[in-house]
Amino acid sequence: MSELELEERFKKRLEEKFGGDITELTIQRRRRLWLTVKPERLVDMMRFLCSEMEFNHLATITGMDLGENLAAFYHATDQHNIITVRALTPRANPAGRSAPGTDCGESRPVPSLPTVRDVFPGTESYERELEDLFGIKIEGLPPGRHYPLPDDFPPGQHPLRKDWKLTDAYPEPAVKEAK
Amino acid sequence: MSKISIPLGPQHPGLKEPINFGLVLEGEQIDKATVNLGYNHRGVEKAAEERTYIQDIYLIERVCGICSHSHVTCYITCVEEIAKAEIPERAKAIRVLVGELERIHSHLLWLGIAAYEIGFDTLFMYVWRDREHVLDCLELVGGNRVHYSINTLGGVRRDITPEIKAELLKRIDILEARTKYYTTLATEETTVLVRTQNVGMLPRDLAIKLGACGPTARASGVARDVRKDEPYLIYDKLDFKLITHDTCDVFGRVVVRVLETVESCKIIRQVLNYLPEGPISIKVPWKIPAGEAVNRYEAPRGEDIHYVKGNGTDKPERVKVRAPTLANYHAVPHMLEGGWLADVPLVIAAIDPCMSCSDRALITDRAAATSAVWSWEQMRRNGIEFYKRRGVDFSKVTLK
Repeated sequence: MSELELEERFKKRLEEKFGGDITELTIQRRRRLWLTVKPERLVDMMRFLCSEMEFNHLATITGMDLGENLAAFYHATDQHNIITVRALTPRANPAGRSAPGTDCGESRPVPSLPTVRDVFPGTESYERELEDLFGIKIEGLPPGRHYPLPDDFPPGQHPLRKDWKLTDAYPEPAVKEAK
Repeated sequence: MSKISIPLGPQHPGLKEPINFGLVLEGEQIDKATVNLGYNHRGVEKAAEERTYIQDIYLIERVCGICSHSHVTCYITCVEEIAKAEIPERAKAIRVLVGELERIHSHLLWLGIAAYEIGFDTLFMYVWRDREHVLDCLELVGGNRVHYSINTLGGVRRDITPEIKAELLKRIDILEARTKYYTTLATEETTVLVRTQNVGMLPRDLAIKLGACGPTARASGVARDVRKDEPYLIYDKLDFKLITHDTCDVFGRVVVRVLETVESCKIIRQVLNYLPEGPISIKVPWKIPAGEAVNRYEAPRGEDIHYVKGNGTDKPERVKVRAPTLANYHAVPHMLEGGWLADVPLVIAAIDPCMSCSDRALITDRAAATSAVWSWEQMRRNGIEFYKRRGVDFSKVTLK
């Protein structure tokens, strides 16, 4: 019996179900599976993991700045294994218009990802973190307060993006006063 | 009767930390509750990207004052996985030892707070008096009561000598006896029973759906414990019980925590007797190769998860921290709704919330790189100026 038999089985099921919509499906080690999914299939993927594969706990969502793209990593677990689903969204559309590949030419703000709240209701604060700290618009997330940034944080600034500097938000740090 | 909306917090709604609840009341009963977070955001994740892996150990330790060891162990497991460093067995055992001491310290702290919220101050003082034993143990092992900094890249900093072992065994006996007494007290004393039973209900299916974890989930009958589900360090070699309770109320959360404390005492004894000979750390290069890892750790409050990405330098590309409290918050409004106003602080306290953990992150001054550390005098002067602008003059006050 192969040591990674269970992981291979997960891999096979996901490949059968999502085929060409997933890329970079790798077994990193025992209990760890990583894959990238097209953003439009993200919610389907989470629903499949939750209801068909018993990965019913979304541990957290990690935001990432990958340069041209921003990404969200969804760490789903069945308590024994973690499947990390990556979804990428372009950082900005050079034309400043709708993202390519959206249906009916409907304008879709960039960067954006769909909400997974319908599948995992407890993920609101993780998604708000993506909005605040990375500026990824979460479609379907009801309006609400900032989290975790303060309400008066300068709009359009997202601290966990790599090009953000502290002086962007606080040009004259209060520290200087004491000198 | 007309409904009234009141804010609860952010000034210390239960425990001494900031969080805000919006409550809609119908008389004394709660019709609807919402939770507002984010009063404690410090930017730890951003700060971690700008520091070396070693510096991050001390930074991440400060994510939380109570489960400092949990966060660091979780983070460092990820880093060591990326670096492909296999740490010595003795180091693993010492990490477990400190982790369980921390669990006792955290659970006893919580039991004290819960007793205080119930209005049973005698119990609060008893528990906190006994908690001193475990704080002494931690000081003995790590050199400090709260931030023990036992972890380092590739192992641990300090060894357990035979003298320390003897002292720990002695103290653990006292702690176990006391905790057993509290178990009886918590399950039989009328004051505790009437204040906790059928209060803050969280049904099992809802606990799973909302992603609750740790004792909060286990008190709703959800058998989730990373130590059992995905054993890390040496937990697969240890014999301990996964404690669950099926009453789904605050009483269940009390029972789960006190029984877990007893289990932790057992684990500590096993670890001390197991403690294999050998080195306590190995050398890990300062530059960590490119790669990523995600790992979980059963902190006293529940599942803690960290994601670390390395880029081949001595600083991480990304560190993500998700503390257990953040996973449990979403369950709190459900626990409150339908309950009574007087029970609110107790219900909030019952998830053992840790706001600093959840809000984590930043603005740890990068600007401070130029201004460095303030002297006491500078801070005081700044404080006086700050209040003067608001019409209060403290400049006449002299310091001893």
